[in-house]
Amino acid sequence: MSVVTVVRRAVLWVPDWPVVAAMTEAGLGADVPAAVLHGRGLVAVSAAARAAGVKRGSTRRLAQRACPELAILPHDEGRDSRLFESVAAAAEHAVSGVEISRPGLMIIPADGAARFHGSEEALAEALVTAVAEQAGVECAVGAADGLLAAVIAARSAELVPAGTSREYLAPAPIGALALAAMERVQREEVERLASVLTRLGIVTLGDLAALPFADILARFGPVGVWAHRLASGEDLAPPVLRRTEEDIAVEHVFEDPAERIEQLVHVAKEAAIALDRALLDAGMRCGRVRITARTEKGQDLERVWRTDVGTRAGAFARHMTDRVRWQLEGWLSGTAGSTTGDKGPEPSPLVSLGLVAEDVVPLGSEQAYLWGGVSGADSRAHRALERVQGLLGLEGVLAVAEQGGRSPRDRAHLAPWGQEAPPARAIAHPWPGRIPDPPPATVPPVARPALVLDAGGAPVAVSQRLAVSAPPTWVRLEADPSDERARAANRHPSSGHVGHVDGPVWDRPRPVESWAGPWPVSERWWSEDASRQAYLQVALRDGEGAVIAVLLAYGGGEWRLEAVYD
Amino acid sequence: MAETAETRLARAREALAGVQRRVGTTRETWDAPTLPLAPVLDQVLPQGLRRGQVIAVAGSTSLMLALAAAASEAGSWTAAVGLPSLGVVAAARRGLELARLALVPYPGAQAAAAAGACVDGMDVVLLGPRLALSEADRRRLASRARERGAVIVADGAWTGAHVTLTAVGSRWHGLGAGDGRLRGRDLTVRVEERRGGTARLVTVPLDGVGTPVRRGTGVPAVPGHVRALGGAA
Repeated sequence: MSVVTVVRRAVLWVPDWPVVAAMTEAGLGADVPAAVLHGRGLVAVSAAARAAGVKRGSTRRLAQRACPELAILPHDEGRDSRLFESVAAAAEHAVSGVEISRPGLMIIPADGAARFHGSEEALAEALVTAVAEQAGVECAVGAADGLLAAVIAARSAELVPAGTSREYLAPAPIGALALAAMERVQREEVERLASVLTRLGIVTLGDLAALPFADILARFGPVGVWAHRLASGEDLAPPVLRRTEEDIAVEHVFEDPAERIEQLVHVAKEAAIALDRALLDAGMRCGRVRITARTEKGQDLERVWRTDVGTRAGAFARHMTDRVRWQLEGWLSGTAGSTTGDKGPEPSPLVSLGLVAEDVVPLGSEQAYLWGGVSGADSRAHRALERVQGLLGLEGVLAVAEQGGRSPRDRAHLAPWGQEAPPARAIAHPWPGRIPDPPPATVPPVARPALVLDAGGAPVAVSQRLAVSAPPTWVRLEADPSDERARAANRHPSSGHVGHVDGPVWDRPRPVESWAGPWPVSERWWSEDASRQAYLQVALRDGEGAVIAVLLAYGGGEWRLEAVYD
Repeated sequence: MAETAETRLARAREALAGVQRRVGTTRETWDAPTLPLAPVLDQVLPQGLRRGQVIAVAGSTSLMLALAAAASEAGSWTAAVGLPSLGVVAAARRGLELARLALVPYPGAQAAAAAGACVDGMDVVLLGPRLALSEADRRRLASRARERGAVIVADGAWTGAHVTLTAVGSRWHGLGAGDGRLRGRDLTVRVEERRGGTARLVTVPLDGVGTPVRRGTGVPAVPGHVRALGGAA
């Protein structure tokens, strides 16, 4: 930890930011009593709720007893920092650079800004006005030398004269140190330190600052040094200013809503070329491209595509054109998203198209693979797959990954090649009731019908209590579509049909050699796509010596062939 | 000036060597490039997984995956064309690197073009059973594979395949009458080589949890484990 010169700072503090952010997002007025709940306790309480007697840290029930009409909102750190961006942008109307130390707290180097505005009072006034007008949030501004003094000054909206920080801090309780801790882990450490110091009889920051530095270091280590520095009104690091950069993006608004792909091919090409040029002008290249579109119905669609290093050399625009075109085709026809599990958007004409470069790095400093660069074989394979994708369209080539799940079908995750789509379910979760290994090598995309019969030829059923009505003795699977004999046998009157046959064409019955099960799997009972099945592993004799093993599932009174261990 | 016999001979040798370099007619150069193969399959393909070969596999998707597994683990790319029901988890367990596996599940009428592009770019191409490929397409694919050094593993019959593997029988362990679970199996494979003469029957322990992995091409422990069938297949 190096000693840095003490910087005069102004601190902009929005009281109860988490609850302010939550109320903004929920569309509640400022006078509504509200609180943010995280885990078992409230982490932030609005002014109206505090007036009604709700305290930070109390449980939901205690809070509701004090104030029955309290709106309890969920905790979301992402929302807090996202919404604070607008406050930071508002503050940047008054000053040139700010450091967001945590959502709700902003640090501004005061010297230059105060000179510009005339005085620190004028600076504070400008900041409060800008934030209230642009972001619609009330805030307090304080200024002092050193971080801790400035943070404490902001809470009471004071301007501490230069050089008096140490005296200003001296009477403050030791617990105030936690205000300068910006991360949760650090805050916990500091709170532990504060409680130890209190028990040692050091109750104010002045007491702490009066202790010899070396003793503090010996007894409390780096946290102690940190606390001692702050309590003495010193600084640890100069503020790091936020710098906003424009996204490298292109946007195209259609004059007429586009509903045919012919209208889009040209636009896709132009947009890709424009993005390529924008990247080149900025001397950058990107690892991913986000394609966004807005439909006539006001729906926003977006997808992220990987672009690989190998395609930088002049081919980027062409490469991107294909991807944009495929994506737009998918959106227009309403097929995109069918393999990724989520529902595809309704087909609708598009009114605008945007491309945003992500993972932007300066040209020439691309990150290669961890071990070595892109090998020739890798780029050759990528090119081959791109060619196949060009032949068959976006969903013609699929990338596979393993994901969590119980049935073999659920455990496979398929996504169009090159599209960023993380697996939907974590493998690490326990997945009780998962079908045990070895996994089957053939998993039909849709379960096929099957018949399980007992020795007398009657269908076998599995009861609610997982009792098999009779030991399975025969299994009939669907016949191969090219099997003329099975088809002819099925048409024959002796099979019980007359004339046209609607149902599946059954193959000949195969005797069951051995079987195991039933294994119950009841999934997602709380949702629409609930499934309750019983699985059966069956080994079937097939001709002389050959045995085929299959996985059958029973649900809703019917058997289905889930997988074949071939 | 008349050419001497020596210069003519030297030119002829050079031309022959050039042809051999390009086409690879001599046994030694043709033998050399192989892809890694799982030790379990040493008995099935004692000469290894040669680049440029076509291997026809009938009746076992697991065997197709096992053929591609070791190569994929060692950095090869694999494409599965026309296999919409390929078990992804089984592929991963066999050792295929899923990041280097691409599925082309429904090539439809473009099967020949898609398979050709895959043969150009990938090291191992798995072809499904019901692809719209004519005999001429297949011949073209095979020669393209020879040229590019790819291996085609085709499900079903393939006229002129270097090796034809047929799963003639499998024995599963671990299932009872309503209890147990599938644990392991012995797959009996009939191996017919185009220029190998006799067909052989090999039993491969696939999917075994504790099955010993056999290395090398030594004499099998159980007599009669590998036995020759009479006559060429």
